[in-house]
Amino acid sequence: MHFAIDYLTEYRYDGEVVDNLNALRARPATTSLQRCDEFHVRTDPETRLHRYVDYFGTEVVEFGIDRPHDHLTIEVRARVTTSAPEPPPEAPWEAVATAAYETAAGEFLLPLAGDPPAERTAELLRLTRGTSPAATVRLLCELLRDRFVYDTQATFVGSTVDDFLTQGGGVCQDFAHLATVLLRGHGIGARYVSGYLWAASPDGGADSLEVATHAWVEALLPGPGERDEPVWVGADPTNGVLAGPTHVKIGHGRHYGDVPPIRGVYRGRARAEPQARVTMTRLDPQTSARA
Amino acid sequence: MTTGPAPTYEPPSWVYDEAVAGDGRPREHVARLMEAVGALAPEQLAALGRRRDRTFIEAGITFDTIGPDGQAVDRPFPLDLVPRVIPASDWSIIKRGLAQRIRALNAFIDDVYHGREMVREGLIPWRLVVSRSHFARQVDGVRPPGGVYTHVAGLDLVRDNDGTWRVLEDNVRTPSGISYVLANRQAMTRLAPRLFQGHRVRPVDHYPQVLLEALRAVAPADEGEATVVVWTPGPLNPAYFEHAFLAHQMGVELVQASDLVVRGDVCYMRTTRGLQRVHAIYRRLDDEFCDPIDFRPDSVIGVPGLLRAYRAGTVAVANAFGTGVADDKAIYPYVPDMIRYYLGEEPILQNVPTYRLDRADEREHVLGRLDELVVKPTSESGGKGVVIGPHASPAELEEVRAAVLAEPGRYIAQELVRLSTVPTVEADGTLAPRHVDLRPFAVFGETIRVIPGGLTRVAMTPGSMLVNSSMGGGSKDTWVLESDGPAADADVADGPEQGERLLPALPEIRWSSAWVGQAQQQQQDDLTAPDGDAAEEEA
Repeated sequence: MHFAIDYLTEYRYDGEVVDNLNALRARPATTSLQRCDEFHVRTDPETRLHRYVDYFGTEVVEFGIDRPHDHLTIEVRARVTTSAPEPPPEAPWEAVATAAYETAAGEFLLPLAGDPPAERTAELLRLTRGTSPAATVRLLCELLRDRFVYDTQATFVGSTVDDFLTQGGGVCQDFAHLATVLLRGHGIGARYVSGYLWAASPDGGADSLEVATHAWVEALLPGPGERDEPVWVGADPTNGVLAGPTHVKIGHGRHYGDVPPIRGVYRGRARAEPQARVTMTRLDPQTSARA
Repeated sequence: MTTGPAPTYEPPSWVYDEAVAGDGRPREHVARLMEAVGALAPEQLAALGRRRDRTFIEAGITFDTIGPDGQAVDRPFPLDLVPRVIPASDWSIIKRGLAQRIRALNAFIDDVYHGREMVREGLIPWRLVVSRSHFARQVDGVRPPGGVYTHVAGLDLVRDNDGTWRVLEDNVRTPSGISYVLANRQAMTRLAPRLFQGHRVRPVDHYPQVLLEALRAVAPADEGEATVVVWTPGPLNPAYFEHAFLAHQMGVELVQASDLVVRGDVCYMRTTRGLQRVHAIYRRLDDEFCDPIDFRPDSVIGVPGLLRAYRAGTVAVANAFGTGVADDKAIYPYVPDMIRYYLGEEPILQNVPTYRLDRADEREHVLGRLDELVVKPTSESGGKGVVIGPHASPAELEEVRAAVLAEPGRYIAQELVRLSTVPTVEADGTLAPRHVDLRPFAVFGETIRVIPGGLTRVAMTPGSMLVNSSMGGGSKDTWVLESDGPAADADVADGPEQGERLLPALPEIRWSSAWVGQAQQQQQDDLTAPDGDAAEEEA
């Protein structure tokens, strides 16, 4: 599928601020399943952009606006082509207990400082244990979707998995965090993915949508044969499905903090609530023809 | 020269005493000092101690300990009046051993953030490296100016039963304590100049210049002299006086985060005449607080954008970001292999025998000997959570066993090293043996330079091996002799001119100007261990 993405963030400060520094992780990744054809960032006020690729392979755009200003607009435009992944490989549980698998999963198997105490997730672990790692990924996605409420008021950006468990609801970030904890609990390597989601109904609908940045997970599933490499499989526990061509990945990390869309600071007393809007437009010929 | 046993000093038989040999005779290199100290009546020593305390209190060189009622008590800085003497022959081994070790640690850090060759070779597990709390993904692939990561290192050394020097810990983040080394020497030369007579003691007062030269050597300044600053978290930091002292001694600005700003990819200092480019920052705070964009977003004491400037190579930061991955206790057992792998040399200084509890066979061995060994949590510093087998109750040992079994990777175990003893003045002016360790300081710029001696920490309670200041530990002026030659050589150096020359000259500092006014802060802050790394050591 082909998409044009327009990701606009606006800050209107109720006074002047200076030294506004930001790091932006918004460029769609180029992977075996997707290709980023165009990517532009513009800021108002204008400033010089610095780019680098971080430890997890995500492109970061950094910039600073030092002179006094009372608003900041960051506009990201991208074009991306995605394709549907292969069905997840099926392999028995023993396949995740090998040294080769553990090496491949690396740090994505390791516990994190913010993990909830084991007893908080024991029941969910029991309920999500499938007949195989691949079955577990599916089961887990469906179970989280059904058990937890999507609620933008329940949590905030700094909420922990523990908070999410207590609230019984949250946003995609929380679903994804809990999913990584559970997958690791099963011995499956798991990473947090930040991206965009084309959330139109499958039968088409509009060819342009207002969406938000989205978060899901990738689980490392062992290949079907003993000599096959394990593969990272996208799974979306907020929506209870495996990731497909409608999921546009920006990057991954161990958790949100490794791949936040925007992180910034400024000096000044003024405050602002950010307004963020992502517009996705489907560019495929059949859609355009219908429009 | 007297060679008979010192009349008032009896070391324990079961440890290595640095002053008196097994046969009861003073060791050659301390004989003269012991004679001079022995010539002082206990009352004279006690009087000297009172003078020292008065001077220190007046000058505000004080230290906090927790009194019996739980209240902080303000005490004069605990300097023992008998210097510790390290013979030149020992020092030449230590010096080479430290330089070798620091070179290997530096190579390891570079490898961790670049090729990971040592991991590829199967010599160290990647998961161990990547799970260290100080592993900094933010600087993956970033090589600091000059390729130097460990600009300042303070490695902790102990001596085992036969007197062999061993490395107990590698401190390569922001090791503190050098200011005590300089203060101790200055105080001793004032209080007891006669003790120095007949000794050629290597000076330590050039440390600030050595540090400044090293920082300038790595600073990416295209032309002219590099601007160096010392970055302190502020007056509330336990080691603030050391930051201020070093900045003053180097003649550079002492700055806080609000004084620094990054524009584009260059770091500047705010001055009354506008922004001034900064080329090298000697920072005294942990990575995670340095830049809220790349590290902890809630850090209000960081400089936003500093990592960007660092990545761009426009500023040197000492020590480099991510260096802490090398001084984690779980990494320590691998240091001898680093020396072999990166340098192709055999280690000059050995580790204390250490067991890796994530390995089944070593764990088995340790669990059978918990009551003899020391168990330490990794990724901690300052002696937090350390359990000394022989001193632990059965219940404590059970607790440790459970903890190790639950998370073996979080602990290491070490053989108990009975720290060496040195003569130390008691309150009544008599001499008694007390356990010590040593933290020498090394500076890495163009080359590695080790400052002679270092901070000797003393456990002031009889039999105790807790040398940390908050546990009532003290310190000693630590002498490295120019040569171990026969006594006649020392006599040659006895002339007044020589004696004058050897007195460290610190013309710019006066007790009352450099130290006063910071006493207040010290009182508040030494409740916690300075930087977490100058804390107690048990071996």
